[in-house]
Amino acid sequence: MGSAGTAVEEDTDADLASGVADPWVTIVWNDPVNLMSYVTYVFESYFGYPRVKAERLMTQVHKNGRAVVSSGGRERMEVDVQAMHGFGLWATLQESGARGAA
Amino acid sequence: MTPFRAMRRGYEARFEPVERIVLARVARDVADMLREEAGLDLFDDGDDPGPSTHPGPGKGQAWANGLLAPDELTDADLARLTGVTGVGRIPTDPAARRLLPDASKNDSEMAAEFRRLTQNDVAQGKVDRLEAFAALLDLPTGDDAPSPLGRHGAPPPVRVPREDAEQFAGALTDVRLVIAERLGLKSDDQVMQLTDEIMWDRQAGREIPVATDGRAARRFWSGVFVAAGYAQETLMDVMLAELRGRRPPGAV
Repeated sequence: MGSAGTAVEEDTDADLASGVADPWVTIVWNDPVNLMSYVTYVFESYFGYPRVKAERLMTQVHKNGRAVVSSGGRERMEVDVQAMHGFGLWATLQESGARGAA
Repeated sequence: MTPFRAMRRGYEARFEPVERIVLARVARDVADMLREEAGLDLFDDGDDPGPSTHPGPGKGQAWANGLLAPDELTDADLARLTGVTGVGRIPTDPAARRLLPDASKNDSEMAAEFRRLTQNDVAQGKVDRLEAFAALLDLPTGDDAPSPLGRHGAPPPVRVPREDAEQFAGALTDVRLVIAERLGLKSDDQVMQLTDEIMWDRQAGREIPVATDGRAARRFWSGVFVAAGYAQETLMDVMLAELRGRRPPGAV
């Protein structure tokens, strides 16, 4: 997607969950308490995701019960999971190819 | 309670005095619960939390005097008595487990390792911001305090400095998570229904009853839950607007 208008590289959860380069993923799970606006804020402010991506991930968490929110090396994912717990979101980490990721 | 608005010196909302008192109180209770459940007190009185640390007074002492049955002991009590540092213990209180959750759904070893590495830091961060939240809500006291009614007869607003706003919102989250756990709110529908009931009562002018029985207590805590949610929702509105406003044009 090299067109000039594509400001943001598109990545889907399928890409993330099966990414070869990123062996680990951070998953955020739905809960009935956290506000949609708060979850969106966390995704925008902590991960620096643009509004559209943050809202899409928030909707996935809300509707599907979970979403892969970041991927990378294990240590990086541990940092992300710890940060999510700090924000009050329930997050887990796992190897990206592991069963139960999707 | 009025919605938070973005002002020059921070985000401001007007809370009723009772809202400030109750939210500050519950935040301190949650902080105490977390401190106990995560065993943070073990690290309060020295650099070496090892076996040489003498058990302090408190519940451990009460137990020694036979006032507290062994099956009432929390992990933190046990840690105090035995000198076990207790780093990364799994909280026994479901609400604490929600604030300090497992980092893996199916790998208990990984979850335990993660607790060992991170739990004290996460718990301490939450305790600190809950206490800061409570302090910010405390009503001014003392001789030099402004009149509780402020100028023009209106109560002084709650002012959250921008640099503290994320911590303030995080404390609201922890408070809401714990109340929801205590109320047994497990689904989006339950939360929505409860919110509707409370808002309906508000509009109808029904006051929050004094908690004299189980039902009234439940109604009271439901009201606190909804009020904390309203504060957080309106705070998020202004924080998100400013966060997005700082982005370069073109980034969506």
